Amino acid sequence: MADNDLALMAHLLRRAGFGAARSELEEYAAKGYEAVVEELLNPEDSPPVEEDIIDRYYGGEAPTIWVGKWFYRMIGTKRPLVEKMALFWHHVLATGINKTEHLPSSGGQIELFQRIGMSDVRTVLLEVSKDPAMIYWLDNHENRKGEPNENYGRELLELFSMGVGNYTEDDIKNAARAFTGWTITQPIPLYPQGHFKSEFQFSQGDHDEGEKTFLGHTGNLNGDDIVDIVVKQPATANFLARHMYNFFVADEPQVPAWSVEPPQDQETIDTIVKAYMETDGDIVAMLRAMFNSDSFKNAQFKKVKNPTELVAGVLKLVGTYRFPEPGVVAFGAATTLMGQTLLNPPTVEGWHTGKEWIDGGTLNERINFAVNEIGDAGKPGIQDIINRLGAHGGSVSPEEFTDKALDLVGPLPVDDKTHAALMEYAESVGSLDFSSDEAREEATPRVIHMLQMIAATREFQFA
Amino acid sequence: MVRPHGLLRAGFPFLKTLGMRRITNFPADVAFGAEGRIYILLRTEVDAEIRVWHFDDAESLTDQLIGIGGLGKDDGKMTWPVQIIADADENLFVSDEALHRITSFNMDGEFVANWGEQGSEDGQLNGPSGIAFDADGNVLVVDTLNHRVQKFTSAGKFISKWGSFGSEPGQFNMPWGIHVDELGDVYVVDWRNDRIQKFNSDGEFVFEIGTSGNGDGQFNRPTGVAVDADGDIYVADCGNNRVQMFNEHGRYLQKFLGDATLSRVARNYMLTNAFPNRLRDMANLEQEKLLRSPKSVRVDAEGRMYVPDYRSYRVQVYQKEAIHLTEQQLAPPLRAPTLQTV
Repeated sequence: MADNDLALMAHLLRRAGFGAARSELEEYAAKGYEAVVEELLNPEDSPPVEEDIIDRYYGGEAPTIWVGKWFYRMIGTKRPLVEKMALFWHHVLATGINKTEHLPSSGGQIELFQRIGMSDVRTVLLEVSKDPAMIYWLDNHENRKGEPNENYGRELLELFSMGVGNYTEDDIKNAARAFTGWTITQPIPLYPQGHFKSEFQFSQGDHDEGEKTFLGHTGNLNGDDIVDIVVKQPATANFLARHMYNFFVADEPQVPAWSVEPPQDQETIDTIVKAYMETDGDIVAMLRAMFNSDSFKNAQFKKVKNPTELVAGVLKLVGTYRFPEPGVVAFGAATTLMGQTLLNPPTVEGWHTGKEWIDGGTLNERINFAVNEIGDAGKPGIQDIINRLGAHGGSVSPEEFTDKALDLVGPLPVDDKTHAALMEYAESVGSLDFSSDEAREEATPRVIHMLQMIAATREFQFA
Repeated sequence: MVRPHGLLRAGFPFLKTLGMRRITNFPADVAFGAEGRIYILLRTEVDAEIRVWHFDDAESLTDQLIGIGGLGKDDGKMTWPVQIIADADENLFVSDEALHRITSFNMDGEFVANWGEQGSEDGQLNGPSGIAFDADGNVLVVDTLNHRVQKFTSAGKFISKWGSFGSEPGQFNMPWGIHVDELGDVYVVDWRNDRIQKFNSDGEFVFEIGTSGNGDGQFNRPTGVAVDADGDIYVADCGNNRVQMFNEHGRYLQKFLGDATLSRVARNYMLTNAFPNRLRDMANLEQEKLLRSPKSVRVDAEGRMYVPDYRSYRVQVYQKEAIHLTEQQLAPPLRAPTLQTV
């Protein structure tokens, strides 16, 4: 297969998933781009993650354990887009466990996104309006007839669907009134028997049955009606399409700037919007339009990896955790050091993305994580790279060594300066010899060092 | 050992709850010592410990919160402990499916030995889980990822093995718990085949119980098995959040869904915590008594059944009430059900 086919497939799998080991990448590439897009968009055709295996081996209910199990899913799933969409919605419909302090609700929200994240926008917005983590996070449990709390109504319009400038303050007030009485059941407290679930509860007595006018619609509107009206708005299609573009295609400015700063690529966003409007907000249709667009295909390495993508991608590369093994709790801690605590986005806006992921401290953490993971020659993914480098059993020149290593890590294109630096190292150690076990043993630390240098490049930080 | 001719099953009431969050976090198994001592094996991704408790649950016997082991890989540490058993001298043996070894401690909690290494050759282990003593003091180990049972001396010398991967009688798919009854028969939880298999002491297949499902006598990823002196069989049906009970022939008798009350330590805690008391006052407490993912079940010599209620941080204890019947007190077996009632 052509190198560009492999590079394009690697790009798709980095964006629609969390990367791929080389053998996995080759299997996907053999199927062809559009076929793989369809495979990703139809996860029910691939086997699910084996939940019984996860439950058997990973015990405990601390958030770090929950997040570790999510990483296990990201790495091993045959349905990577399901997990990627859960991460997408986690970013867009952000709630934080620092406020809920309730893992069944905060983790349950991600599980909700895993179930419905590829359904349609109406389902997502309606279900998240009934989601205990969201209700508590935005105080809708305090939203009662006669004493409305506008938090949820405001954020639903501002950050979850239409964006600033497409509604009035009166629309917010009336949306809030429509969601009065949408509350949660009181869970049994953490002590002494651990967490128990909270569930959505409609409290009729707290619901405002009065007439409301919202975006030109008047009546005794309930929360369902608000969602129905919202999802029909072109502004919602535009706003969520821009979110998708920002998450999957290329970095946009931060969300608060969207009302004043136009998208860098309105044409692609229009393509996604068109799919939305033609299908009443079918998420798979939007994703299909996006993944098959030329601008997506041409957007290789135009996005800074978020910390979750970086960590999961490195783990895919090194080939560990294909079956449960201890240590998953480390991954949530790692992304926290890189600026992304899963289950706990900093605000209702989610995380700031793009170059804001990178500063002196987080870059150091990103590189250290990758370098440490790659540093173990016993890991199956590293073994595979070494085997592929030495597949012909003879000598590998410095240039071949450099280019093959870049290919096997990505394929990862690098600029001349980076290439020259890698070449300098390769030349300093000379040709690699794979003609015997002893020679291979001698070559191994050099290969690892090269891979670590690649992981420390500027280019490796991009998806 | 002779089994009773028959039983008058008078009842199986709930007896008590032991432990709470912080004290008995995620109990995976229990073992019994003398004078009512109970060793509760705790396992999460961030902890691995044996909590020494007492059936009487008296504060004076438990307030030191004695723990054995700890999370790690070194001697005397555990990473993914699965089951615990105690020998007559109260030496404790713990299987560790991450470290592929059996670790033993004496009753003072001092490390004694590790044995086992990862592999699939005779005597090697891959993810050991269930462990049980046979009548000779040998240790039967469920070698989960090798889909077999291996027998060792208590010092870890390989004796024999049986089983292979599959779903036919005598085959396993990631087996878990194990029990050797007083007659020497062996019961193995065939976890991913959703069944229990009974073998004689030579490892020859005798019968199996269960299919996949949530009906009576069906299982959803069972974990532990125990057999009492009457031959009754108890199965921790983890995925269905219950324990099921069968007679010695494998006929379904009843199920236990959980009846927990607040333990002594839980009550003491709640009496000094006003806010959670208010929350409890607002909550539906019905679900609180139910079992959540029981990872094992054990019975002691007094006919008590202990269920490590994994996700509820406690152990639920039931008391069997059964009277042995003589031949005169139990009519001969019938060939078919009858509508005659007296």
